[in-house]
Amino acid sequence: MNPALAQVLERSDIRRGDAFAVAPAPTFATGFARLDAELPGGGWPRGALTELLPEQTGIGELGLLLPALAALTAAGQTVVLIAPPHSAHAPAWAAAGIRLDCLRLVFPSRPRDALWAAVEALRCGGVAATLLWLDALFRAQLPANSLRRLQVAAGEGGGAAFFFRPAQQAGAASPAPLRLQLHAAGRQLRVKLLKRRGPPARQAILLDIARPAGFIQSVHYAVAGAVLPDTTGIRRRSRVPA
Amino acid sequence: MRLEVAGSLRLFGGLPRLLHLVREDLAAMDLPAQLAVAATPLAALWLARAGSDAICSDLPATRTALAAVPITALELAPPLARRIEGFGLRRLGDVLALPRASLGARLGKPFVIDLARALGEVADPQACFIFPERFEQGLELPAPVEAAPVLLFAARRLIAALAGWLAARNAAVRSIECLIDHGHGVITTVPLAFSAPVHAAARIERVLKERLDALSLSAPALALRLCARETEAREDRSHALFDGAGQRHEALSELMDRLAARLGPQAVQGLACHADHRPELASRPGSEKPALKASLPSLPPRPLWLVEPPEALRELHGRPQRAGPLVLLAGPERIESGWWDGGDARRDYFVAVDSGQRWLWIFRDPRPPGGWFLHGWFA
Repeated sequence: MNPALAQVLERSDIRRGDAFAVAPAPTFATGFARLDAELPGGGWPRGALTELLPEQTGIGELGLLLPALAALTAAGQTVVLIAPPHSAHAPAWAAAGIRLDCLRLVFPSRPRDALWAAVEALRCGGVAATLLWLDALFRAQLPANSLRRLQVAAGEGGGAAFFFRPAQQAGAASPAPLRLQLHAAGRQLRVKLLKRRGPPARQAILLDIARPAGFIQSVHYAVAGAVLPDTTGIRRRSRVPA
Repeated sequence: MRLEVAGSLRLFGGLPRLLHLVREDLAAMDLPAQLAVAATPLAALWLARAGSDAICSDLPATRTALAAVPITALELAPPLARRIEGFGLRRLGDVLALPRASLGARLGKPFVIDLARALGEVADPQACFIFPERFEQGLELPAPVEAAPVLLFAARRLIAALAGWLAARNAAVRSIECLIDHGHGVITTVPLAFSAPVHAAARIERVLKERLDALSLSAPALALRLCARETEAREDRSHALFDGAGQRHEALSELMDRLAARLGPQAVQGLACHADHRPELASRPGSEKPALKASLPSLPPRPLWLVEPPEALRELHGRPQRAGPLVLLAGPERIESGWWDGGDARRDYFVAVDSGQRWLWIFRDPRPPGGWFLHGWFA
């Protein structure tokens, strides 16, 4: 090989199309070994924007993040949710192993404030992970440079940034170095890596995410299509105030 | 109020002149006062209460003046005052004429010690008065300012002064007030509250900036004033060189202050569990106390997102519908609660999956009119 070319390839900001970038980007484990193996650096990137494009709400898109968020909050690090689409149900988050005292929710009412709050949270060095839902506030018309601003802010702050976006945005150009498209697959979640700093992913990976019937034993199953179970005889769950 | 004046006589040009100045100042403040001077603090207090204008600069004169003080001026506890009156003693002079030892036996040690203090036989140390610490500094603007954000430049000087004032006292503030004077007695008050005590100028400035950016002035501003009423001791931690946990914590609380300053205090919340079986009441904004987690009961699965209020679902052939029929996977879980507070609820919860393989938490109301409702997403 031409020595000059070899010298260029030694540089940390140059990567070959058939290998992961060699620059050691800081990451943290996703909690899914199969996903870690596919991500450059072996986990969710810190200091960079990660786009998550679920086809719909309720397919387990948060379940993909829960193991990593639980690990972060267990270490006393803070997770911030900006403009969450529904109200968070505390018992479920606690049951997923997330320390609630490490969780902060921000509810901006105007789109401009939402983008400002997102940039500030990403730029602040004290937030380990920021979860964003901005498209609903902007009615799916995010200003052109906002992704770029978020990516720069994440680089300054050094925390992880998970940006949940509607699946229609999968074809749009984005400065985010990692983009994942999420599909429902029964009890599993099919993750397609649209973009990563490395060779293009060949095929989607199936992940076993936490699904409701998976972590309980005491419920009865009603067979699909069968007559509804008679609920009159169920033990009454009642609580009298202390 | 008791003043020690012996050390100040030369400065003010003698006792009569000092008293004249004190009277003049009190009159200017419209405060009625009775002045008395004695060789001991307690004697001065008793003389002033007795309404005498006595000026006794040495002990013998004090003793003479005290003799004329009525017992009522001592403001003793009622039982003690009644006993002394029962002895037929009207004035302090009558008491002083009696042997001290038998007085102690009859009226108690504390009274005798007070007498000794008033007569200068026993030392009577006084606690020093310390002025309450407050910072207040104002600034006339060179020209009327119409836009609130521009005020930040002027406020910077005041914030720097406040930071210096705090540094000299090793103190921090939890809240400060910025007063914007529009002239004609019209004043806009901008209160700033911090989640943790602050002392750094840059941090106060950034929070004030958010408030000023959101403010529109009713009239041009002519002057600016910064007040800090209560200070507290600064908590300085030595930062670890490589850890950075302290810096992260500080950066986070500053972020929360700034978010709350711009978006409003309600827009930034924590999340906490609450012991209630009704899902809509089991989750509250607020701070979770780590100790509570241990007592969390193990519940059947709960969705991460709650749909508030529950969304009514169509029913077809006895089955709930949402873009096609829903498949019930798990359930029912009967939740029945709240009969005591008017929020009576009886619901049968199911985990369901729709045609798009989204996981829903739905419930059926078994009481008429009944019906199916979507209450959460297993996201």
